[in-house]
Amino acid sequence: MATELSYYLENLRDNLKLDPADEKEIITELEAHVEDKLQELKEAGLSNEEAVERCVGLLGSAKMLARQIYEAHSQGTWRQALLASTPHLFFALLFAPRWLVGAAWLPVIFGSFIAIVLYGWYHGKPTWLFPWLGYSLLPVVIAGLFLLYLPKGWAWVTILLYVPLVLWLLCYITIKAIKKDWLYSALMLLPVPSMVGWFLAMEQGGIFTGFKLERLHDFGPWVGLSFLVLAITVAAFIRLRRRWLKILALVTSGLLTSTMVILSSSKLGLFAFIGLVLLMLSFLLVPALLDRRIRHSNQQTAN
Amino acid sequence: MVRRNELMKTSIDSLLLFLLSQQPMYGYQIIKELEGRSQGYFIFKEGTLYPALHRLERVGLLIGGWQTLPNGRQRRYYYITEKGRSILVEKRAQWQDFFAAMNLIIQPVKT
Repeated sequence: MATELSYYLENLRDNLKLDPADEKEIITELEAHVEDKLQELKEAGLSNEEAVERCVGLLGSAKMLARQIYEAHSQGTWRQALLASTPHLFFALLFAPRWLVGAAWLPVIFGSFIAIVLYGWYHGKPTWLFPWLGYSLLPVVIAGLFLLYLPKGWAWVTILLYVPLVLWLLCYITIKAIKKDWLYSALMLLPVPSMVGWFLAMEQGGIFTGFKLERLHDFGPWVGLSFLVLAITVAAFIRLRRRWLKILALVTSGLLTSTMVILSSSKLGLFAFIGLVLLMLSFLLVPALLDRRIRHSNQQTAN
Repeated sequence: MVRRNELMKTSIDSLLLFLLSQQPMYGYQIIKELEGRSQGYFIFKEGTLYPALHRLERVGLLIGGWQTLPNGRQRRYYYITEKGRSILVEKRAQWQDFFAAMNLIIQPVKT
């Protein structure tokens, strides 16, 4: 097939942002369609080059065609929406009725999360996986935060060893998610800004001067409500067809949960709210920019 | 022309079900068949046709199947399902009622 058409189909594939198996079928179907169209144009008297140029013109923008096909495939079922929102619902139920007593059983819960994540990771990385993936990275991040409370000498040694490893792991997983679709990366990182906000709200004095598990009970209903908002957001994300609506859902949930953090805490104010909103927006914009950079780099390699 | 496109977009699901109830077809064939039978009125672009076919397949009204041609190329044919046929019966009745009502309005009043 002519280079121009191959480039068109490659451009289309880059913009589809669907499961690789679905993308392959769609591209194969469109290749057959294009070949039939080329045949018709050549039979009408056009040369090969003219037929290719006309064909590409008739197909229209690859991005637009990809978007239209994406919208036909992008809506998940209610079952997928429920599965994707389950981790958020679980945490909402955990905090709201103040069931969180002691941390001894947390490893069991996170162990279950990791098992589910590993299953999803090695079975095609479906959309519902990404909220679970975000939570399975939590123990890694929380452990890092608690390292800051170690006696000074030990803290620096551990941080110098631990932080690079954690950053590598987070980057690796985030880039894998971005390569599938940068929106999945944003979905994965969705709870992070509100968790950072709750962590700051529950600090006794200044930053990192003291943290007590009992403070979680004081904020329980608000924390539970914020996770419920995240659960509803994820369900809406799965069910919505259009990408801009999915992005709007993520942004709205970030604003709502940041507002809840500020309203429930007497010591966090406007600057904290702005900080949390900026953190939330960075988790949307950075994956989008990285996605663009990765695709640009791949195109340059292909050329 | 814009209003015509909007009318076509709302009718594409019905058109596809009607067409595929008669025989299985692939995408390019569907476009040519619709254009031919409507004497050039229904000209659907790929960006309208394929999303509609995939959407109807996802909701179970159509089912797609690959056929390998003698030259090794693969084509995806679409077949109507039982669910699609039962929906088609409803849509056919709806369209007939619609056209009957439209004709009553459009026809000039005889004095």
